Amino acid sequence: MSISNLIKRILALLMLVFVNIAYADVVVIVSAKSPITSLSADQVSKIFLGKSATFPNRKPAYPIDQQIGSAVRDEFYAKVVHKDSSQLAAYWAKIIFTGEGRPPKLIVGDKAVVKTIADNPDAIGYIESSSLNHSVKAVLVP
Amino acid sequence: MQKKYCLALLLSMSAGISSAWADQNGASQNEVAAVTDQTMFEFGSYGTLGATHASLNSADFALDAPMPSGAGRSNYLSLSNNSLIAAHVNATFTPDLTAIFQVISEYNSNGNYRPEVEWANFKYALTPDLDIKVGRFALPTFMDSENHDVGYSFVWVHTPFELYQQMPIMSVDGASAIYHFTLGDAENTVKLIAGQNTTETAVGIVNSKNMRGIFDNLDYGQATFHLGYQRRDTSTQSELAGFNEAWVAASDLTAGFSYDPGSWFFKSEWLQDRTQYKTNAMYASAGYRIDRFTPYLMHSQSSAASAFDNTLPYLNMAQKSNSVGVRWDFMKNFDLKMQYVHITLGNNSTGYLVNIPDNVTLSGKTFHVISAVVDFVF
Repeated sequence: MSISNLIKRILALLMLVFVNIAYADVVVIVSAKSPITSLSADQVSKIFLGKSATFPNRKPAYPIDQQIGSAVRDEFYAKVVHKDSSQLAAYWAKIIFTGEGRPPKLIVGDKAVVKTIADNPDAIGYIESSSLNHSVKAVLVP
Repeated sequence: MQKKYCLALLLSMSAGISSAWADQNGASQNEVAAVTDQTMFEFGSYGTLGATHASLNSADFALDAPMPSGAGRSNYLSLSNNSLIAAHVNATFTPDLTAIFQVISEYNSNGNYRPEVEWANFKYALTPDLDIKVGRFALPTFMDSENHDVGYSFVWVHTPFELYQQMPIMSVDGASAIYHFTLGDAENTVKLIAGQNTTETAVGIVNSKNMRGIFDNLDYGQATFHLGYQRRDTSTQSELAGFNEAWVAASDLTAGFSYDPGSWFFKSEWLQDRTQYKTNAMYASAGYRIDRFTPYLMHSQSSAASAFDNTLPYLNMAQKSNSVGVRWDFMKNFDLKMQYVHITLGNNSTGYLVNIPDNVTLSGKTFHVISAVVDFVF
């Protein structure tokens, strides 16, 4: 291996480390009162895209979105749903303008999301892991 | 006068206070909102502004069957081919009873932009898994039939016309049952439809009655499968000839597949249309997403209609096309698309061209169509 290749590899590794630091860690949460303990990325994705109206236990699921353009939202959709903001907007354009459904309810900020979800065993949302407290539990760490 | 009134209606609907799009935009922010709260009326709008050039001077390339003129012989640059605007209302009366109303203004068979009712239906959830729809709703022949006018919802400039123009009936006035169930890890939706339709085309009015259809959509991971079968009795009222043709039984079988893991996509659909003739059509398309850009390729083709009964005249719209294009999501709720399409007409075929003079033979001709459009949603 030549020196220049080695340097390139080290730089690539360093970039990876920095990118990981720059990313906040998103966690998917439900109320501490909910019987759900864990969900797969596919199950969460279906609930947030309106393809499934229920949790795997057939109980109704009410997804809660965060502010468009927020880091936590972009990370959630990139890691769990594999869509960026414009792909997501294109997806909902199809659903809304055919009357097939509506996007998740929007609540701004981790604090408000945690508070709402703590009180609603049917709700599901996502926050940064640092905002976790005893009133909610993480069901997916993507 | 009527035009002005309709325009004012469209504008006032678009300028509604509560936007169907608003929930996605962060307009409703109530920290202690109950998760099930819904506003009763939501307004939205979508549209496309586009310009099209076709390398033809002996005929017009028109995007939709009802358009009386397009790019080519009539216009060097056609602004009517892709341009449209729609206003949409979503009503939630109770969690189980919802309704939609949508009007759309686009270039039509009368050569104007008079708005028409695209959708108007009530939906009632009998159970969490079973919905009933009554009114005017979309005929889900293809994977993008229901949203074929919402340019922002797909990557191409328009839906593949070799396939979508084989079945120009886009809506049903009638009833539909929609049943949703889970199959292991897959989500499955079955739609049953029954009703009738009247569609204006450039050559006359096509009436359809006794429409019946069954459509299945299966989502499994990043893959989607679509299957459909429908039948109807149709009759063409030719304004030029001034007569009603007899009712003819028609049926369509459709299949579609798409795979979209996020950074790229593949999509392909197929149709067989049966009247006195049998026509096949298909397309396959793939694209790759690089940041805000999505370059894509598409191949699309329709066969000549082969007669089941040899005494019938030959009907021929066969053509093949290859497209290359790019979608650029340049700002929130807007995209810009550019597309180059190379079209080859089949033997004795006039494809989907309009305004062809009597003395012109187009058989086997090749030409290209270049389009640029901006799509938006509000």
